[in-house]
Amino acid sequence: MFRVLAPLTGLLFVVLLFAAIPPHHGVTVLQLRTILVHTVIVAVAGLGMTMVIASGGIDLSIGSGVALAGVTGALALDHGWPLWGAVLASLATGTACGLYNGVLITALRLPPFIATLGTLGFFRGVAKWIAGSSPISPSDMHGFNTFLQPQPPENLRWMIVAPGVWLLLLLALGVAGLMRSTVFGRNILAIGGNETAARYAGISIRGVKTAAYALAGLFVGLAGLLQLSRLTQGDPTVAAGLELDVIAAVVIGGASLAGGTASIAGTPCGALMNAYLNNRCSLLGWPTFVQQMIVGHIIIAAVSVDLWRRRRS
Amino acid sequence: MIHPSSFARGLLLVLCLLLGACEPSSDSKTRTINGGSPGSRAPDSSAAGAPKDSGAARSGTPDAAADAATADRPLRIAVVPKGTTHDFWKSIHAGTIKAARELGNVEVTFRGPEREDDRQQQVDLVQNLISAGYDAIVLAPLDDKGLVAPVRQAGEAKIPVVIFDSGLAAEAGKDFVSYVATDNYKGGQLAGEKMVELVGGKGRVLMLRYAEGSASTALREQGFVDAVKAAPGIELVDPKRYAGATRATAQEAAENLLTANTDLAGIYCPNESSTFGMLLAIRGKGLAGKVKFVGFDASQGLIEAMRAKEIDALVVQNPIKMGYLAVKTAVGHIRGETVEQEIDTGVAIITSATVDNPENKDLLDPDLAQYLGR
Repeated sequence: MFRVLAPLTGLLFVVLLFAAIPPHHGVTVLQLRTILVHTVIVAVAGLGMTMVIASGGIDLSIGSGVALAGVTGALALDHGWPLWGAVLASLATGTACGLYNGVLITALRLPPFIATLGTLGFFRGVAKWIAGSSPISPSDMHGFNTFLQPQPPENLRWMIVAPGVWLLLLLALGVAGLMRSTVFGRNILAIGGNETAARYAGISIRGVKTAAYALAGLFVGLAGLLQLSRLTQGDPTVAAGLELDVIAAVVIGGASLAGGTASIAGTPCGALMNAYLNNRCSLLGWPTFVQQMIVGHIIIAAVSVDLWRRRRS
Repeated sequence: MIHPSSFARGLLLVLCLLLGACEPSSDSKTRTINGGSPGSRAPDSSAAGAPKDSGAARSGTPDAAADAATADRPLRIAVVPKGTTHDFWKSIHAGTIKAARELGNVEVTFRGPEREDDRQQQVDLVQNLISAGYDAIVLAPLDDKGLVAPVRQAGEAKIPVVIFDSGLAAEAGKDFVSYVATDNYKGGQLAGEKMVELVGGKGRVLMLRYAEGSASTALREQGFVDAVKAAPGIELVDPKRYAGATRATAQEAAENLLTANTDLAGIYCPNESSTFGMLLAIRGKGLAGKVKFVGFDASQGLIEAMRAKEIDALVVQNPIKMGYLAVKTAVGHIRGETVEQEIDTGVAIITSATVDNPENKDLLDPDLAQYLGR
């Protein structure tokens, strides 16, 4: 229970703390919609990352994977493919990226940090190569460009917030169910907790790990697709350093980089916190460097509190 | 360990709390006072070839003006550069403050994207500023297409946008108020003509490009290419290598290029960071002062290098004037004045011979401290 409540409490604390700083502005609906939309890409990629981190791994190639998946989706649209074709292209690209990571880690027995550091460069290079080093702007987005904008599209106003935000909520519930109630989810946690014990228990370490990375890749593909929707172009240079925002969200959310634990509720909360701070600092007119100094210490504080709690129990 | 149901409940709780807090103000002024008259755009819109749209143009003139008048509060103008660390943007910042002081009752917020060459960060920033309800946004887009959607969203929220420095692939007078910028193509041409003169019309000339998808520097590159093409004796070496966002990335790219290309008569770079990175690279290779070097934009380091004859010529823009005019245009529009849809802020070429002429002082070494206070 605490694992779920901790990130929510932390989020609430930060929100109230920063809302208390004068000058006070009335919170607007548009502002809430904007913050939620800015949460989605980091949180979607973060759901995949949470699984990978739970298995005791890490994926540094997320930003590059997002760019590559966005570019393939944009290329598909640019070649006149229907929307579902582009969606499949992006998701397949992301999954392929994840699968490649998984194979490098299990077959070559590379440390995940090294393997994904390598693919970080590789995926970025491929993205630039197939995009011809400049953004691909499809002439027809088939209305997909309204999927993740602060104002939901005209015919979907009843959704209150962008459809992409609801998608995130569904995915989070799905992943939470997967981690809690399926053998696969429990195996991931078992491997992250104690790989040797998991092996003796008869779990196929390679299979589970490869699948975890591939599944994380699927989420990367989805994040790339959402990125394409946001920018209305497949930009091969986008999302550089996104992996750090994602890791920050996962860590603020309460996951341990040592593996064995997962807080599916925490990751979106961590992403939401960062998006909120971004928005609040813009509203306060604070320069970017102030915000970076603050966010850095929020990560430090979140992990410190977590470690202190663990030592106590 | 994980409780989806309590997660959903928790998230709802947070949302309800936030929503509850916002109840009294609702969508703030953007919703409550947008019943303003049509024809809200400045009167010159019919001359812009968009007469049909002008009536419904998404601009906030009467609303914002009325709002400001009734509340008697300062106009809040958000200025969004491409980055904040280059000297160029500091001069822009100074110009915006100069305008705010001159106009009176105007507050300027200067805020760049978190990561300087990340389009998505700039999109997020503009959306955050829209949600913060600024009276106008003055924006230097990192990408001519990627920033179109947020600019239109500003229009929907009745927040007028002035584009400066780099172009936007949208309609001036409809999607945004005005485009305030250097004629970058002309600047590139000036650099090219100077280069032809410096190398005596013959030899290999290297160009290091700035960054993929940056419209202003692409024009400076094109202007340069077209100008040196006019001289048949010149062989342009343009391996389509890009300097990237910072001096550090530029230095690396330049060093690599200089290793691959020897026997150069001249070198051209299209902005401050690429010029500086190249300067560091030619110093490292012992080429400084031996190869003719034309750069773009000025900073203290580049000016000193020009005095030391390491740089032969710099094309300079007038960033203080650009920042000044951008804010002035935004405020003028809000206050219902007629503004031009395209405003050229001028380019000049300065050589190592004219660097210390008094008339160039304001272009090369402006007194920023009186505006920025440091």
